[in-house]
Amino acid sequence: MEVNVVCTFCGSVCDDGLFDVEKFRSKRLCKLGSSKFSKKERIKSPMIDGKEVSYEEAIAKAAEILVNAKRPLLYGWASTVNEAIRLGIILTEKVRGVYDQCASVCHAPSILAVIEEGLPAGTLGCIKNRADVVVFWGCNPMEAHPRHGMRYSISAKGLLVKDRKARKVIVVDVRETRTARQADMFVQVKPGYDYLVFSALRAIIAGNADVVPDEVGGVSKDKLIELAETMKNAKYGAVFYGLGLTQSRGRDRNVENAIKLIQLLNRYTRWVILPMRGHYNVTGAGEVPAWECGYQYAIDFSRGYPRFYPNEFSAVEVLKRGDCDAALIIASDPVAHFPKEAVKKLKEIPVIQIDPFPNMTTLVANVVIPSAIYGLEAEGTAYRMDVIPIRVKKVIDTEYWSDEKILEELIKKVDELMG
Amino acid sequence: MLILKPKVDFVVCVEAEITPELATKDLEEIKKFKVYYGKEEVELEKLFEITKQGNEKKIVLEGDFSKVKWIGYRMEDGEIVVKGNVGSHCGSCMKGGRIVVEGNADDWLGAEMSGGEIIVKGNAANLVGCPYHGDLTGMTGGKILIEGNAGNYVGERMNGGEIEIKGNAGDFIGTEMRNGKIVIHGSCGFVGGDMRGGEILIGGDFEIVPSFKRTDEGWVGDVNVKGEGIIKKL
Amino acid sequence: MMLHIKNGIVIDPKNKVIKEKMDIFVKDGKIVEESEIKKDECKVIDATNKLVVAGGVDMHAHIAGSKINTGRTMRPEEMRPVRSKANKFRATVGRTLLTAPTIGYEYAKMGYTTAFEAAQPPIGALHTHEELDSIPMVDKAALPVFGNWHFVLKYVAEKDLEKLKTFIAWALERTKGYGVKVVNPGGVEAWMYGKNCRNLDDEVPGFNVTPREIITSLIKAVEELRLTHCVHLHCNNLGNPGNYQTTVETIKLANGFKNDKRPVLHITHVQFNAYAGTSWRDVKSGAEEIAKVVNKMDNVTIDMGQPIFGTATAMTGDAPFQFTLHRLLGAKWSNKDSEVEGGAGIVPLVYLPKNPVHAVQWAIGLELGLLIDSDKVVITTDYPNGGPFTEYPYIMAMLMSKKMREKELERVSPYVQKATNLPAIDTEKTLEEVIHMTRDLPAKILGLEDKGHLGVGADADIAIYDINPLEIDPSNDYELINKAFRRAMYTIKGGEIIVKDGELVKEVWGKTYWVDVRGKVELEAIKADLEDYFKYYSIELQNYGVEERWIRMPEKIVL
Repeated sequence: MEVNVVCTFCGSVCDDGLFDVEKFRSKRLCKLGSSKFSKKERIKSPMIDGKEVSYEEAIAKAAEILVNAKRPLLYGWASTVNEAIRLGIILTEKVRGVYDQCASVCHAPSILAVIEEGLPAGTLGCIKNRADVVVFWGCNPMEAHPRHGMRYSISAKGLLVKDRKARKVIVVDVRETRTARQADMFVQVKPGYDYLVFSALRAIIAGNADVVPDEVGGVSKDKLIELAETMKNAKYGAVFYGLGLTQSRGRDRNVENAIKLIQLLNRYTRWVILPMRGHYNVTGAGEVPAWECGYQYAIDFSRGYPRFYPNEFSAVEVLKRGDCDAALIIASDPVAHFPKEAVKKLKEIPVIQIDPFPNMTTLVANVVIPSAIYGLEAEGTAYRMDVIPIRVKKVIDTEYWSDEKILEELIKKVDELMG
Repeated sequence: MLILKPKVDFVVCVEAEITPELATKDLEEIKKFKVYYGKEEVELEKLFEITKQGNEKKIVLEGDFSKVKWIGYRMEDGEIVVKGNVGSHCGSCMKGGRIVVEGNADDWLGAEMSGGEIIVKGNAANLVGCPYHGDLTGMTGGKILIEGNAGNYVGERMNGGEIEIKGNAGDFIGTEMRNGKIVIHGSCGFVGGDMRGGEILIGGDFEIVPSFKRTDEGWVGDVNVKGEGIIKKL
Repeated sequence: MMLHIKNGIVIDPKNKVIKEKMDIFVKDGKIVEESEIKKDECKVIDATNKLVVAGGVDMHAHIAGSKINTGRTMRPEEMRPVRSKANKFRATVGRTLLTAPTIGYEYAKMGYTTAFEAAQPPIGALHTHEELDSIPMVDKAALPVFGNWHFVLKYVAEKDLEKLKTFIAWALERTKGYGVKVVNPGGVEAWMYGKNCRNLDDEVPGFNVTPREIITSLIKAVEELRLTHCVHLHCNNLGNPGNYQTTVETIKLANGFKNDKRPVLHITHVQFNAYAGTSWRDVKSGAEEIAKVVNKMDNVTIDMGQPIFGTATAMTGDAPFQFTLHRLLGAKWSNKDSEVEGGAGIVPLVYLPKNPVHAVQWAIGLELGLLIDSDKVVITTDYPNGGPFTEYPYIMAMLMSKKMREKELERVSPYVQKATNLPAIDTEKTLEEVIHMTRDLPAKILGLEDKGHLGVGADADIAIYDINPLEIDPSNDYELINKAFRRAMYTIKGGEIIVKDGELVKEVWGKTYWVDVRGKVELEAIKADLEDYFKYYSIELQNYGVEERWIRMPEKIVL
């Protein structure tokens, strides 16, 4: 029997997947996505210091750790659903801790840029239907978002833009990526110089090409003018950008400058800009706290109300600065990905982990709480990279508790302890 | 004068909105001054050894204050001397008075400052004299002097005052600046993005955005915002 | 739980109770006859000499959904002011933009118990419901936006009323929406080409239709379906000097339609569509002309869209207007083109009393509230476009007191004197009129029979204020009025006391109303069209929409 499933890997959140329940295998999804729907080693049971315990015992211990901490960090959230994330915010507020989510190591600069400039965007369907020029800037969808191109941005068949031939695809990157090889135009930028390239493009488009030097960030002025004209002559254009902009020199100001370019282009024609979000619900991990407490990440509740200071309250910073004495890690693996000094701190403090699968963080966790797999064993709401809500489905039964249930019980326990 | 020395190894950071005003209070009141230690509001004396010597509006912070934030927040007059490193938000929203940091400062030094003087003998980190996220104006007055280096984001959205860095700085100097003066004796990275006014003088190398006009006075721009800011060699 | 509200001075315009001393009895969340309760088992609330009214009904506010949240995300400077720390209740923060918990608590403290999200992007319907379900206290609903939806444009072009009706029924069920909202019809589709539809007869690019046809067809469809709420319209040409003429023409589109229970057309935040003049330099008020036309019609209502001095955030589905605003103000700007359905935009604002344009806008809102019959105008600020809904008491006080208006006029730009007629208006609305404009009139327009009044059978949503309506003189005591309506002495929601002396005492969760009119159509009729056109969506038809069980407390209204 084949059922429809919604993919829970990347921010493309493809909802046309098929899952064969008997064979335990998915169809149509890319390699990355189908890995989420294949049998994997699970954390077998809740554990305290390596000893198997019941869910109730593990949750009681977790509550104790959080309540006794001076500043607990609750981090992860990007690979779980909104219902759980909302409980996470409520829990963090109760224990007066810090809420941070995976964006702080990838698209946080996007959020900072939106704060300063706004985000002129559109849904993926708009791009599929209307975009006759699509630019991939500092991102490589062929490898990181494999079905993005066929569903939304490269070969997708749209209302006004019928197919690949009707679309001009441009890649701007520091090297010729797989996506670049598929593009109609490739612009190679010197690593770390996108910020200057955006300023140059803005000047050219507004009619001030005369001040622009012959070469900016490794790109010749002629090439810049060609790119500017192509963008200005589009009927409807879209820029997709990724970690090439957010995690290289310039970071949030790179994205800001890109946004300013798009805002300028809208005076002549129509353009939108979208971040290529990595995790299937990293968007939700930011949207939910925004409506619950006003900000998307790096939120400190120690004073009884939310404060947003990313330089000190993103997970890496809070750990590096020794400003945290307990951590709850959910749907994430900071031990595998964080810099050494941050990981060092994680090894020193009590750590609670909530996850379906064992990973590097499991090795340092004092309390481990295994959870159900969203999209397979539990359902909930996720937001695609363009903030469209899509419901991930439950297609098989399980004994494991969902993140939502675990957090509900954890909040109850915390309430009990705090009186 | 008030002397404070950390009593314990801080498990988490301390947020102490201490201004020189505190030195003029009587000792009992000073001891009970509330600071944030993670989620707990604790009295100053629980975390610091407190010595009061006379009523001068001066506070000396002795020891490692790198985990103590918000020192000098909104201060109006008097003096704070940090004999060591200091944590984030030092001198934030400062209106007057003087802060001397003998060691290094952390992020947000002198954020949204409108008056007074900050001197850092060591290095500063990021966001010197910058506006907090979403605020339209940064520093509007006063002077920040850094003997060592600074990090990224210096004097963004500045509308007055002066920042001087003896060493080097990173990227994003004077972004969206309207008024005021930034002097960097060493080198820096990206400078002048969306600058509208004000002056930036740089001794060493720098990478100016490609939207400035070269004139006899120096670089004028940013043309992307029809700006009349000036960037020139020291 | 049984309540006995004793000796209150009741104003309940729907049931023709004007300042009468009356007891109110509550049982199982409803207002009941005295005979139904056991007096000795009741909790007694002593409302002696205090004003007792139904809980307020906010029929138009932007409180939940994607653009509200992007507004928050892009304005941490607005989110920073702290209102209260977390204790028994959630922490509340925000200046004029508020978090979801804050919205619920602030409505409750003000004595409002029902709030409607004014514009729900259909593909984002679930997001709107998630946010609505994070707003405590109030009963709520959402109005999905139809005026630029390709299916609508197609059926209007084909003059296929049956398919249009069927589509509306399908869409309301999929979005779990309450009614038909229309925003700048045709104009947002035009924005996809960088254009707009400012006039009723402008052609919508790609479709053979005009805004006039879209509006008229939707009114026809809604009236034939007899939906509880009428077409709720954000007019074309919003925000442009001279636009009052478009508004007047639009109002007349209601001619020929009749409905005994409610209007056939509700035009929202008319202040933004009531400008005369030719540019911002000579902008004037067009309120009088609009008021004349509205007062003559018997089937059109409006709401004010009152600007409040201070910060605000422009957020509407009128994407082209938002871009124009961004250019005008040089402010940051977010845009949201939405599949084949519509769009939205967000731009921060501030209204300054000494700014001649802002002062004119402020005056126009008040003119509309004063000149239009109280039976046809509802108090709103188009939150957060005009200002925070927490300033409704200010508007109420201003409508009732010429003295207060005179005092305010002293601090605003003198340009108001020549560009508007506000200084010359002597009208002082009565307390019962202002209660009517915030309670039973919006409830009537929305078709909510159990809201906005205190008759037997009504939901026990009640507000008690610390003023004696028999003694207070709103004309002179405007400061008392302004203060008293900010903090209810008691707010009762579904029979539960949630606010006492202006402070929260209990957190409750409200219902989400949605309208199911599928019984009046044959969904099969549009099945092929849906399946065919959905290839232009970026999600599957099978995954489109909201299921009831995903909503906290859905309340289906079957027609």
